[in-house]
Amino acid sequence: MLSKSQARLFFLVGTFLFSAVFLGLTWDTMRQMSKRTNAQNLSAEVKAGKHIWETNNCMGCHTLLGEGAYYAPDLTKIVKQKGKTYLKTFLTDPQAMYPGQRKMIQYNFTEEQKDNVLAFLEWVGNIDTNGWPPEPNIKPPATESTVSSKVSEPPPEKFAQLCTACHKLNGKGGVVGPALDGVGSKYDLAYLDKWIKDPQLVKPGTAMPQMPLTDAEREEIVTFLIKLK
Amino acid sequence: MKFKSQKIAFWFFAVCMLLLVLQVTYGFIMGFARIGMDGLHDIIPFNTARATHTNLLVVWLLTGFMGAAYYIIPEEADRELHMPQLAWVQLISWVIVGVVAVAGFHFNWWEGRKFLEIPRPLDFLVVLNVLLFLYLIGMTIWNAKKHSTTQLVFFFGLLAAALLYLPGMIYFDNLTMDSYFRWWVVHLWVEGVWELIMGAILAFLLIKLTGVDREVVEKWLYVVVGLTFLSGILGTGHHYYWIGTPKYWLMVGGLFSALEPLAFLAMAIWAINMYRKKGKEHPNKLALYWTLGCAIMSFVGAGFLGFAHTWPQVNKWTHGTLITAMHGHMAFWGAYGMLVFAVIIYALPQLTGRKIFDNLSGYIAFWATNIGMVGMTGALAVAGIAQVYLERKLGMDFLAAQKETEVHFIGMMLAASLFTVGVLIFIYNFIRHGKPTDEALLAPGESND
Ligand code: HEC
Ligand code: HEC
Ligand code: HEM
Ligand code: HEM
Ligand SMILES: [Fe+2]
Repeated sequence: MLSKSQARLFFLVGTFLFSAVFLGLTWDTMRQMSKRTNAQNLSAEVKAGKHIWETNNCMGCHTLLGEGAYYAPDLTKIVKQKGKTYLKTFLTDPQAMYPGQRKMIQYNFTEEQKDNVLAFLEWVGNIDTNGWPPEPNIKPPATESTVSSKVSEPPPEKFAQLCTACHKLNGKGGVVGPALDGVGSKYDLAYLDKWIKDPQLVKPGTAMPQMPLTDAEREEIVTFLIKLK
Repeated sequence: MKFKSQKIAFWFFAVCMLLLVLQVTYGFIMGFARIGMDGLHDIIPFNTARATHTNLLVVWLLTGFMGAAYYIIPEEADRELHMPQLAWVQLISWVIVGVVAVAGFHFNWWEGRKFLEIPRPLDFLVVLNVLLFLYLIGMTIWNAKKHSTTQLVFFFGLLAAALLYLPGMIYFDNLTMDSYFRWWVVHLWVEGVWELIMGAILAFLLIKLTGVDREVVEKWLYVVVGLTFLSGILGTGHHYYWIGTPKYWLMVGGLFSALEPLAFLAMAIWAINMYRKKGKEHPNKLALYWTLGCAIMSFVGAGFLGFAHTWPQVNKWTHGTLITAMHGHMAFWGAYGMLVFAVIIYALPQLTGRKIFDNLSGYIAFWATNIGMVGMTGALAVAGIAQVYLERKLGMDFLAAQKETEVHFIGMMLAASLFTVGVLIFIYNFIRHGKPTDEALLAPGESND
């Protein structure tokens, strides 16, 4: 039978051995660190962004690289997914972008602070994460994707910057709102204009946000939408 | 109790209970926010509630460990605590630092790194405080009349926990580096050195409660902590899959973390076997309930539920979802929450001289907390599976998927209410014991083994 001194030996040797291997692997990880994280791109802006991220404890609601809290979305790839213009508009007034939904804190960041945070998130998005987050691998039952809109002209700039963060068009874009393929045959011009001008007026309690668009920008978007038959 | 200076443990335990109640309160704030009742958002936003919830958890557990050390070490070393007045200084300064930290969270003063939110200036005070604690315990052991494996393992666990706090204090510009060393604190604590503390406390309790020969208990203690480090050190790799660290961590972390449940399994088998071999009937049955309960629930929460999402192929989908929260609750409760409860329920009659052993409310507290925690874990598991399926597998929007989990959070809070009732009954029992007194000292030659 195992004696006490043998048991002690097992503990000491095991601990020593595996600590040594762990330190070795840590050394190798450090060696590969700058390449895998693009450390050369750690600009002053990115560093300032990290500082803002930490001093406001954004990780207390969000995950980043999958670490943090589970109250708000993971932001690892957010800049790639939604683009900086949309995100800046979002950060200006988070609650306006998601009316009636879970609340993010209104931070009143300056333009520079917003740039820093987004530079930081962009840098995070380029870290080699061994393929995380994975692409969804189950296809939802096909409904919307049957229509696809054939429009030759490219969408207006503001549409590409703001609307596709939440809406899919031709299979590309966000999943917060419904896909916009075929929306031109669903609604008329006046309705779409009213809707985008003030969604709450048309449909009180809707999750579609009112966005800061000039009249000209709105008109341009609506004329584009109506062509999506 | 054998020595006057052990009485200080009582006050650590009392603080422990207070902090636990606060922790649970903040848990409910988050639970309500998750079902859309976020009326406190402007005063206590979710991130404040969360930092408070998890930090209070860590602080009450550490307070419990410290109390346990002040109770157990004099008894094992067979001498009074070294400079017991300083233990009071340590307790009071510990509480002050804790209160300042938690208050700071409400004014956006923190470091914003999960579990290590306490801002750096306060970190240094924590270090000073812990140095004082280690000095008092260390000197007691240094001048011990008896040396035992249990006290050495206990001390080594506490010392290593203190040392591992340091890598978490370094500042890095690189988020991946930051995260890499944050896990040296978080993972190597709960799946490494805290298990030493756990093993030592369980060994002490098993020796006292079952009367099994010390040599036998302590031999298996070495085996248990040996298994812990064999698997747990390289098991850190299960946090290095997706944070920018090299790909070989998928294999190293997967393999070794999959072995981690063995340490918890060994712990459970050890405790149950010692109980089977018991050479006497200790009157404090409740303490035995909590001791065996801890060994078993830690295997379920940490071992089994940890194993459930530790393979890279699974973790890829569950990483950073409510599945993690599910495991976190049961693991912390089973391994460390119940451990602290076990020491408290064992030590209270010794400290106060009021031997209220056989009382119904004690058993109600045991079952209500544990059934409540199983219910909470179950609800979080269902919510987590729903989240993984809808958001990760189908690609549904985050907030839309969260809407689907609201109903499970109602269930979770019902179970949490049962848990809370159990905690309150436990505290009622605690208060009923009254204060520690010198009258509870054993007469010379008398033994409580
Ligand atoms: C109190 C919780 C909370 C805190 C703190 C918080 N957020 Fe958020 N955040 C949210 C929620 C909830 C959402 C989801 C959209 C919504 O409901 O507003 C969100 C969404 C976002 C989005 C993505 C928006 C989109 O459309 O996908 C970004 C970017 C973001 N937050 C950045 C930050 C940054 C940067 C910080 C720290 C300075 C931060 N958040 C702190 C709760 C929080
Ligand atoms: C933050 C996310 C978000 C953004 C950004 C957003 N939308 Fe929406 N949108 C929604 C949601 C959610 C709905 C569904 C509202 C409902 O049914 O109540 C919606 C609905 C719509 C609809 C009705 C679709 C239908 O089939 O009924 C149109 C049209 C629309 N949005 C156009 C736009 C345009 C144009 C923009 C850019 C200027 C835009 N949206 C930006 C979230 C968003
Ligand atoms: C008492 C022991 C344990 C406690 C207290 C505990 C607690 C926790 C906590 C709180 C987290 C979340 C950490 C964070 O995201 O910051 C976590 C994550 C994790 N734990 Fe444990 N754990 C324990 C044991 C184990 C064991 C034995 C295993 C494996 C067999 C395990 C596997 C995991 C995994 C894989 C994660 C990462 C989840 C993710 O990717 O989001 N844990 N644990
Ligand atoms: C009884 C009432 C409780 C409620 C309502 C509650 C609720 C919650 C909620 C909502 C979260 C945040 C999850 C998220 O990020 O969205 C959380 C986190 C956490 N709670 Fe609790 N909790 C309670 C008690 C406890 C207890 C008793 C423990 C430990 C013994 C505990 C340990 C934790 C841990 C470790 C985390 C972090 C989990 C992670 O990051 O993965 N909680 N809790
Ligand atoms: Fe871990």
